[in-house]
Amino acid sequence: MSRVRLPLAALSLASVSALLLAGCSQSTDASKTSGNTAASVAAATGAKPAPFSEGTVKVALVRQSGAGDYFEQWGNGAKAQAKALGIDLTVYDAQADNAKQATDLSSAINSGAQAIIVDHGFPATIQPEIDKAVKKGIKVVVYDVETSTKGVVSTKQNDASMAQAVLDVMAKEVGKGAKVGYVNVAGYAALDKRNTVWAKEVAAQGWKQQFKVGKVTDSTATDNVPLVSAALTQHSDVTGVFAPYDELAKGTVLAVQNKKLQDKVKVFGADVSNADIQNMTADGSPWVATAGTDPSAVGAAVVRTTALELAGQLNKPSVEFPAVAITQDFLREKKIENMDQLREALPALNLSQVSTADWISNVAH
Amino acid sequence: MTTTQSTEVPTQAAIPPATSTAVRVQNAVIKYGFIFVTVALFLYFALSEGSFRESATLLDTLRYVSVAAILGLGVTLTMAVGGMDMSVGAVAGLGVSVAAQTMVVHNQIGAVAIVAVLAAGALAGLLNALLIVVLKIPDMLATLGTMFVIQGSKLILVDGQSITPGMTLDDGTTAPGKFTDGFLRIDRGTILGVPISVLIFGALTIGAWVFLARTRWGRVLYAIGANPEASRLAGIRVGAYRALAYVLSGVLASIGGLILASRIGQGDVSAGTSQLLEAVAVALVGTSVLGRGRPNVWGTALGAVLIGIITTGLTIKGLPYYTQDVVEGAVLILALVFSFTLSKRRST
Repeated sequence: MSRVRLPLAALSLASVSALLLAGCSQSTDASKTSGNTAASVAAATGAKPAPFSEGTVKVALVRQSGAGDYFEQWGNGAKAQAKALGIDLTVYDAQADNAKQATDLSSAINSGAQAIIVDHGFPATIQPEIDKAVKKGIKVVVYDVETSTKGVVSTKQNDASMAQAVLDVMAKEVGKGAKVGYVNVAGYAALDKRNTVWAKEVAAQGWKQQFKVGKVTDSTATDNVPLVSAALTQHSDVTGVFAPYDELAKGTVLAVQNKKLQDKVKVFGADVSNADIQNMTADGSPWVATAGTDPSAVGAAVVRTTALELAGQLNKPSVEFPAVAITQDFLREKKIENMDQLREALPALNLSQVSTADWISNVAH
Repeated sequence: MTTTQSTEVPTQAAIPPATSTAVRVQNAVIKYGFIFVTVALFLYFALSEGSFRESATLLDTLRYVSVAAILGLGVTLTMAVGGMDMSVGAVAGLGVSVAAQTMVVHNQIGAVAIVAVLAAGALAGLLNALLIVVLKIPDMLATLGTMFVIQGSKLILVDGQSITPGMTLDDGTTAPGKFTDGFLRIDRGTILGVPISVLIFGALTIGAWVFLARTRWGRVLYAIGANPEASRLAGIRVGAYRALAYVLSGVLASIGGLILASRIGQGDVSAGTSQLLEAVAVALVGTSVLGRGRPNVWGTALGAVLIGIITTGLTIKGLPYYTQDVVEGAVLILALVFSFTLSKRRST
């Protein structure tokens, strides 16, 4: 037997050494190809300030989750911008495991990073670590995180501008004094902000709100169909429905189609993704307008904000990314089918004017 | 590495196995192979990445694996009696919800929350014991069932919501309590620079080792795992001991839950779910340490440290989490080869 056994044992160890070698070669590959988005880079003209003039700058990106269309594109944008700036970006992805995000953040603090970007997360979980980082003199930039720590730069998508952009379109489409419906849920910070804008717009336009329904579940789109259908049965005379979150808008679209009201009722949504574009451009879709930010551009802009903060040139505690209105007519006219085509047709999505300087090579188109 | 040894394969089987160099080398590989892999990986990361060497990083690595390790100790106990506990992750998650409910909604102090969480863990263990020992359901299936029941009932308890300090309750009032500072110290505090959760991990490892390897009860558990029928004939109350293993596993899992709750600082409904597979993995990796080929406490602890080294090291190297999964999986498979293929061959 021993003739068979020893080679097997040797094989096991050999496979470990192979594993180690694979580890080495992959890590160099990863750093070369980390920013493989299709973004073109606008060359920098100015001289780099410190610390960028002194060599590679280490930045950690600590994410609650990097999964899903939106977060993947956000991450790609961030990586591409980091590469263009010569930043050595280490990405920690907790895969929605909040306990892991806490230890990830702790590792990032110890890793010698000069700045840390925190993308989402429970304040109760990450607040003490953010305090620690600031105390250690690390620059901290948060995206969509409520934090009370002084010295932290807060970045977020501007939800008020998102609602306003869609409601401006809605005001033109349905006119003053129209009967309207509303699909929204209270208790989510982003949706609450959109709600404030809605309340103002309803008053300003003299709209008569006939119903307000909505809930958020594991399958929000499907679960809102019966709610909106019931509301439409009672109030089939509305001419516009505002559903300021794409899952709510998808459910509303299905409900309007179920009730065969697509010629009379227009849906105004929010957010934009590949799936949303398909939904809006489909034949007979009542979804006539939405507003959104480009996740990839947002990720890149957060990295640029971090770079400015590191160079001591930001000089403000928060940066907001404005949303852009996108109409069904525009999508159909330009034959836009996905986010890539949308980015090309709508340069305002690129946030190329946000957090930039002459020494920053901007990855925006 | 040591693969050069393979040239010493004897050309004929006539050499007595006990004295042959090949067999001795092979035994050494089986016995120390895994420790060698751990040390090698550690050195590799320590030499190639400066920040990996820092004591803060190493303590963070231990802090990160402490939950999976403690859950793995529970799995080890149930594996010792020939079983398996698939509910440890769910029980840890239940602990997070119970801790949040006790402190945030019922405004109790941290000590009350700790008692409530441990009681919940013991109850979950009793439920497993009832299903397995009394109702004779196979262990894997029974604990899989309790896993779902616990995950679901935990959500019923909190109405599907994460419990956060200051949240609005069903009756319209604001939650009166918060996670107390003392409770938050479990994971966030340190003693002499060492995180308290790491000290808990160390203490439980020693405690579980003494119990399993140095007491009569521990030997009985292994005896039951090796041959339940012979144990029964020898006059051992097999059912009672198996029940004990599951209750201890439940309590250990709830201690993991306490650490998670302290780390997250709110009643995160998804907490614990990701811990199950890591806990089972470290217990399985542990079977290969020192060539035991059976569940053992030091093996589980070392397995957890190894997983921690891999996760931290590869993250610092900049590899995304899915490549880490591949490496962790490969290490697990390798450990199983050590544990099953090689040591089984040796015993035949």
